[in-house]
Amino acid sequence: MTLQHLDVQPAMPRIRPMALRRYRRSPLAVAGRFAFVLPAVLLFVVFIAYPIVWVAGSSLYSKNADGVARFAGLAVYGSVLTDPTFWIVVRNMVLWGVITIPVQMLIGGLLAYFIERHTTTFRGFFRTMFFLPVVTSVSVISLVWVQIYAPYYGIAQEYLKHVGITLTYSPIGDPSTAIYALILVNIWQWTGFSMLMYIAGIANLPTEVLDAARVDGAKGWRLAVDVIVPMLAPSTKSLLLLGVIGTLQTFPIVHLMTGGGPNRASEVFGTYIFKQSFVLGDTGSGAALSVIVLLIALGLSLVQIVFLGTRMSPAKGGEA
Amino acid sequence: MRTKFRVIAALAAMLASSTAFADQKEVTVWSWFVQSTMQKSIDAFQKAHPDIKVNFTYYNYSPEYITALKAAAASDSLPDVIGLQPGSLTQQYREHLAPVNELAAKQWGADWAEKIFPVNRKQMLMGNPAGDTNYYIVPQESQVLTVWYNRKLFEKHGIAVPKTYEELKAASKALTDAGLIPMFQGAADGWQNENVFLMLANQFAPGIVDKAQAGEVPWTAPELVSAMKAWKGLFDDGIFQQGALGAHAYPTGAQLFAQGRVGMMALGSWWMQESKFPPPLSEYVQNMDGFDFFYLPAVPGAKSASPPIGGIDIGYGLTKNGAKNDAAWIFLAELTNGVGLQEALNDLNDLPAFAGHEPKGDVTEHVKAMSARFMQDLPKAENQRFANPAIAEALDNALAGVASGSLTAEAALAAVQAAADKAAGK
Repeated sequence: MTLQHLDVQPAMPRIRPMALRRYRRSPLAVAGRFAFVLPAVLLFVVFIAYPIVWVAGSSLYSKNADGVARFAGLAVYGSVLTDPTFWIVVRNMVLWGVITIPVQMLIGGLLAYFIERHTTTFRGFFRTMFFLPVVTSVSVISLVWVQIYAPYYGIAQEYLKHVGITLTYSPIGDPSTAIYALILVNIWQWTGFSMLMYIAGIANLPTEVLDAARVDGAKGWRLAVDVIVPMLAPSTKSLLLLGVIGTLQTFPIVHLMTGGGPNRASEVFGTYIFKQSFVLGDTGSGAALSVIVLLIALGLSLVQIVFLGTRMSPAKGGEA
Repeated sequence: MRTKFRVIAALAAMLASSTAFADQKEVTVWSWFVQSTMQKSIDAFQKAHPDIKVNFTYYNYSPEYITALKAAAASDSLPDVIGLQPGSLTQQYREHLAPVNELAAKQWGADWAEKIFPVNRKQMLMGNPAGDTNYYIVPQESQVLTVWYNRKLFEKHGIAVPKTYEELKAASKALTDAGLIPMFQGAADGWQNENVFLMLANQFAPGIVDKAQAGEVPWTAPELVSAMKAWKGLFDDGIFQQGALGAHAYPTGAQLFAQGRVGMMALGSWWMQESKFPPPLSEYVQNMDGFDFFYLPAVPGAKSASPPIGGIDIGYGLTKNGAKNDAAWIFLAELTNGVGLQEALNDLNDLPAFAGHEPKGDVTEHVKAMSARFMQDLPKAENQRFANPAIAEALDNALAGVASGSLTAEAALAAVQAAADKAAGK
């Protein structure tokens, strides 16, 4: 059976090119093949490519004092890049990404490890509780955290007064702490998502590898760091990619809690673009900022693909 | 036979009703206006004009409403009538709006604009290009900015309505000592900061902010610097609550004020509507029994107490799409100066923009008296609106920077001047 099968294989190249040549001769057949990808291409063009081109086009126009749009070319980009607010935003975005992504991954990973490895009866309960902030409305989260941070009459103050502590300022009202206070809220909200990703990764770990490691004497910290963490690399890569994208898309928490203030101290790309485009009506600079964010996202994604590869999920057969 | 007759009768009735629907005109309206009040206005309008059906879409102002407007304008699919604020918002959509001068003159007479309070009339033209005397917004309601206080708390703690800055400081201290918030400032909201700054600036020189907007005086003028320093003083002197820069006026401040945990709050005449919200209402909000208002006393160095400041609370514009629909203007006219407005006033939503209206129905004498005082003050009110959003934004940042101590008054106002120069294309 095997030999017969092998015997047939060498004959295939002689037949296939002729068949393909005949197939290529029929334009209808070729068009038919492309027709299958047409819906996807149309959707891409209408909902992704066209808006990007439209925004890129708008980024070359600027309004004069009378509100009339005129072609300004790359001058709009020059104006955006020399605005000090842009660099405050860049600093805030870097802080946001550098702090939130690793902290969420670390806490989420630890939660996933302890829930999956050290709980049985209450596993579902803990998973649900830690994931709850992810599915809670951002409006609710923002309202609650504004109240938590409020000194004098806030939620935290209600508890702190029992130990003699009086909050005298709100961290979201101080330019030097506002961005960190928002980052903390973001971590609180999204750590459950990291936990869920790692739970999925841990559930897919091949038991034979873990058993082999145990037979070799690995346990506890050694097992976690040298065996489990490397095998969870696909989950980590996914979280890294999603974290970068999420960072660049940050908007509702900042908009609802500080509006980017005080005095621009917590401005992020989302709120800055929103203000320029919708509040100030400066569509040109809003579009230029959007293009810059798009290029940053593209660049960071390429860097990740080059250095970390494209595989974001564990391969079948237990390859890590 | 009887069954056949019933079927024919039913079909005839259906046909008649569908014909009636076909004859009914429709008007599409978008706004951020309080839904329950708007529904009362629409119901009253539809009762008066049964041939017109109003399709109203409510949005939260930010970001939903301004985003929806932008998208609809870009795709030329704006509804017939849109809610507007004077100045920057109206100017952003000016090219999509139809001038209402002729329609209004036909509806209300050639002197129709004279029936609108002066500050509103000024704001209606705010930001128009030089020589453009068209009106693109019809105001529905006006407001007067003031300092509301909880008179029951004041009475309980033996505090008199402050007439000087020292008395204001003493009142704030007494309230703080009683475990209450003295004056709640939602300083995370630019609009509330602007309102208080306008109160202060007009103490030093009435109308100076308008002059600065027009480029007649610089934003770094000594009076404005003094006002900015006085603004910082409100934080440093314990008049505003601690942590004010992280607080929002709505919903936090308003809730605390309504619950009797706050002594004073800088709001506007719209606060009266709190008493019309669905129960349960606190003892303070019930019939506005707990509240009254005063104007901010003169701060050190100022010439006088704050004058009334205000203008258009909300107005409506007729879009170019709406100009093709006769029913759209009929609705807009009734909403701003007819049956629709009366319903809004009865709901104590705010003050009218046209003279000659007052709230009717279930309104207490105390509320009527406060409303009358506001109406007396409205004709002499100073302008509260900004023609250019870039200047308003720069002022918001300047106020936050000064309040937090990260900017001096002079540096903050220099930044506002720079924004004004940029907006003017200098």
